[in-house]
Amino acid sequence: MLIFLVRRLGTMVLTMLVVSLLLFLLLEINVASVAIKVLGPYSSDEQRQLWLEANGYLEPFYVRYFTWLGNFIVGDFGSSIRFKVPVGDILWPRLGSTGILGLATMMVVVPLSLGLGVLAGMKEGSKLDRTISVGSIVTTSVPEFASAVLLSAVFVFYLDLLPGTSSMTDGFSLVQLSLPVMVLVLYDFGYVTRMTRASMSEVMMTHYIRTAVLKGLPYKTVIMRHALRNALIAPFTVIMLQINWLLSGVIVVEFFFAYKGFGALLLEASLNQDIFLIEACAMVAVFVAVATQTLADVGYTYLNPRIRFA
Amino acid sequence: MKKVLKDETGKRIHPYVPELCEELRKGDVDRREFLRTATLLGVSAGAAYAMAGKILGEPVVRQAMAQSQKPGGTLRNAMQVQEMTDPATFDWTEKSNQARHVVEYLVETGPDNITRPYLAKGWEASDDLKTWTFNLRDDVKWNNGDDFNADDVVFNFERWLDPKTGSSNIGLFSSMVDEVDTGKKDNKGNPIMGKRMTGGAVEKVDAHTVRLNLNSPVLSVPENLFNYPTAMVHRRFSEEGGDLTKNPVGTGPYTLDELRVGEICRLKKRANYWRGDVFLDEIRYVDLGSDPSANIAALASGQADMIYGNLVDVSQLDLIERLPNAVLHQVTTAQTGVARMQMDKAPFDDIRVRQAVQACMDHKSVLDIAYRGKGAIAEDHHVSPIHPEYAKLPAQKRDIEKAKKLLADAGHPNGITITIDIGNTSGKWELDSMQAFKEQCAPAGINLQLNVMPSAQYWEIWDKTPFGMTSWTHRPLGVMVLNLGYRSGVPWNESHYSNPAFDKALDDAGATLEVNDRRKKMEKVQGILQNDAVIVQPFWRAVFSATTTKVKGLKLHPTLYDTVLHRTSIES
Repeated sequence: MLIFLVRRLGTMVLTMLVVSLLLFLLLEINVASVAIKVLGPYSSDEQRQLWLEANGYLEPFYVRYFTWLGNFIVGDFGSSIRFKVPVGDILWPRLGSTGILGLATMMVVVPLSLGLGVLAGMKEGSKLDRTISVGSIVTTSVPEFASAVLLSAVFVFYLDLLPGTSSMTDGFSLVQLSLPVMVLVLYDFGYVTRMTRASMSEVMMTHYIRTAVLKGLPYKTVIMRHALRNALIAPFTVIMLQINWLLSGVIVVEFFFAYKGFGALLLEASLNQDIFLIEACAMVAVFVAVATQTLADVGYTYLNPRIRFA
Repeated sequence: MKKVLKDETGKRIHPYVPELCEELRKGDVDRREFLRTATLLGVSAGAAYAMAGKILGEPVVRQAMAQSQKPGGTLRNAMQVQEMTDPATFDWTEKSNQARHVVEYLVETGPDNITRPYLAKGWEASDDLKTWTFNLRDDVKWNNGDDFNADDVVFNFERWLDPKTGSSNIGLFSSMVDEVDTGKKDNKGNPIMGKRMTGGAVEKVDAHTVRLNLNSPVLSVPENLFNYPTAMVHRRFSEEGGDLTKNPVGTGPYTLDELRVGEICRLKKRANYWRGDVFLDEIRYVDLGSDPSANIAALASGQADMIYGNLVDVSQLDLIERLPNAVLHQVTTAQTGVARMQMDKAPFDDIRVRQAVQACMDHKSVLDIAYRGKGAIAEDHHVSPIHPEYAKLPAQKRDIEKAKKLLADAGHPNGITITIDIGNTSGKWELDSMQAFKEQCAPAGINLQLNVMPSAQYWEIWDKTPFGMTSWTHRPLGVMVLNLGYRSGVPWNESHYSNPAFDKALDDAGATLEVNDRRKKMEKVQGILQNDAVIVQPFWRAVFSATTTKVKGLKLHPTLYDTVLHRTSIES
C-alpha cells in the first residue's frame, strides 16, 4: 500500500512539473510580450527594458524557470496585472467561493443521484427505472448555458422569486447561491445517476445476489448488505471526477450568474491576458485534477480488495 | 491699439464674441454653435444662454428644477469594475467613471455639448488662440484638507506631458510639446523620436491662475480638459505613491471606501463638498461581468438600480422596455466604430485597395442591419453631423464597378482576401456591422474574413493589427478625435495615418475662430481623410442605459461619463 501511495504521489508531482514547464514555455518564452502585458500597450521601449532588467527577465530561460518554480512552491505567484495585487490575494478567496458552490452542489447531487441510481438499477426495465433513466438523460443533455437561461427566465423574470445574479457583494447569501446550484445539479445529477444505475444493475445480475435472493433473504437485506457496497465502487470514482469538473466546468455558470468564483476568475484572467494569474489558476486546476484522481485511485483500492492485492 | 471689450463685471470679453452675436442674429450660426463657441471663449454658460435668448427672442428658460428628489440612499450601478491607479493613464471610460466622483476636472462638457466651468471658474483665450488663461476657484478643498490651487494644475500638466507617465494626453495637448531626438536608435537604426513638454508651456500666474502657452493655435483647449484622462490629482500625487486607489485624495463629492477589482467599487459621500450637498449617500459600482443578460437579470430582480451603457446591447431594448420596473434611457452621440486599415501594411499600403474596400460599403443598410437604424450614417472621415464644425460633403454611394476597377489597377484582378480583427469592445454591433459589410464586399471580389476575439485581447492589438474594427467614444468636437487618432505620429493613431497635407489642414481648421470659415476648412480636412480611405466608418450610434423607476434625475451623457450622478437621487 505504501509503495502504491508513493508511486501515485510521484506521478502526481511529475505531472505537475511537466504542466508547469509547458505553461512557462507558453506564456513566458517571449519576454518582450510579457513586458507589454505588464506595462500596457502605451509603455515606452525604455520603460519595458527597465522592467525586464529589474525583474530578472534577462537571465537565461532555465534560470528564470527554476526561480519561478521556487517562488511558486513557496506560494509567491507574482502580481496580477488586471487587479494590481498579489495573485494569492484574489486566487484563494475565489477558490473558496467555488468550493462553497461545489460543496453545495455535491450535497444535493450525491444523495440525489445515488438514491435515484440505486432505485433505477434495482429492477432494470421497470417503470421506475425507465422514468428515472429518461429524466436523467434529458437533464444531462441540456447544457448549462441553456438551463441557466431557462431557470432564470422562470425564477427571475416570470415568478420574480430569486435574484438574477449571484455576485454576493454584500457577503454570503444562500438565496443567491440557489440558482447556480440548481443549474449545476440539473446538469450533473443525471450523469451520476446513470453511472450508479449501470453499476447497480450489473451487481443485481451477479450470482451472489441471485443466491442471496434464492436462499430467502428479505429483498431489503439483499440490497443493503450485499448489493450496495459493490454497486457504489464505480460511482465513487465518478463522483471524485465531478469535483475536478466542478472547478473548470463552472465557468459558464459563474459567468452567467456573475458568481465571483474560480471559473469566472480563470475566464477573466485569460480574456485580459493576465499571465501571472493564468499561471496560478492553471496550476491550481492541475493540482486539483491530479489530487482528486489520486484520491479516487486510493479510495477505489480501499473499496475494492481485488485491486488492492493485484 | 485694439479696443478691449469688457462685460458688466469688468471681465474682458473675447473680441470675437460681438461678431458671433451678429452671426447668430443673421442665422449664419445656429443656437447650439453660438452657445458652444461663446462659452469656449470664456462667456459664462448662463450669460451665453441669456444672450442667445435675447437675440433669438426666446424666453429665458431655466433648467427644470429637480422634481421631488430626496437625499440619501445608495445607487448600485452595474459596470465592470477596473483598477484605477493613475487617472493620467486611463484608457477605459469605466475607470474614469469610478474615479470621477473622487477627482474632478477643470471644466465640464454637458450632455448638450456645451463646456462649462468646473474647478476652473472661467477662462480667457488670446485673440490668436495661443494663450489660454484659466482662473481657478478659490473655494475648493481637497479631501485631505489642502486648498486646490494653481500648483495642482501645473503639476498635472507637467505630469501628463512627461513621456514617462505614458499618458495619452500628450497627443491631446500636442501644441504644448516639442519633438526631440532621444539619442536612441530602433532596430533599423532610425533615431527614436520622443516628445518633451515645451519650456514654459504651463505657467503659474498667481495662486489661482494658470496660463497655457501653446506653440500653435487651438480652439478646443477647454473641451480637451474634460477628456477622461485629464482629471486633476493632488500636487503631491507622485511623491505620495502615485496610486489613487491607495491614497484617494480628490476634490470630488465622494471618497473611495472600497475597491475590489472585478467585484465592487464603493464610494461614500464626503463632508464639506465645495458644490454643496449631493443626494446619494453612497454610489456603488458592482461588477456583474460582461454578459448583458446577467446585468438585465440583476436589474429585473432589484440587485442593481442602473446598468452602464456599454452593457446595454441594442438587441435587448425590447426586453428592457417590457420589464415593469425599468426605464430605458437613450442619447444620440458621436460614438462610432471604424474599420481602419494601416496604410503602411500590405495590402493596405496601396491606396487603391483601401478605396476599393471603402467603395463597397452601403452605410445606411449597415446601420439598419447592425443597429436597428438607431443612429446616423457616417461618411468615413470621423466627423459627426452633431459636431459643430461638421461640413457636409457630397454623399457617398456604393460603387462595385469602381471597387473592381481599383482592385484590378492595384494588381488584384481576381479579387482579394482580407481579414479584419473584431473585439466587440462596446457590443456585438461591431461584429454585426462587419457581417453586413462582408456581404457588401463579396460582389467586388473582396473576401472579407472576420476574426472575432475577446475585447481585452483586442485592446492588446488595436493599434497593431493591419485591419481592425475599433470603437471610438463620443467627443464634443470632431477636431478632438482627429487630433487624437489621425494626426501623424500620435500614440492613438491606429491606422498609422500620416499625411502632412491633412496635418496642416487640421492645424488650420483648429486655429480658425470664425464658424463658417472653420467649416470651410473642415471640408478640406474631412475630404482628405475620406479620400485617403484609411477608415471605413459605417455609422454613428445612439447609446442606451437602463435604470429602475426608483432612479430620479438621471440624464445620460453621450460619452457615458457618469457626470450627473451627483444630481441623481434614488427613492427608498
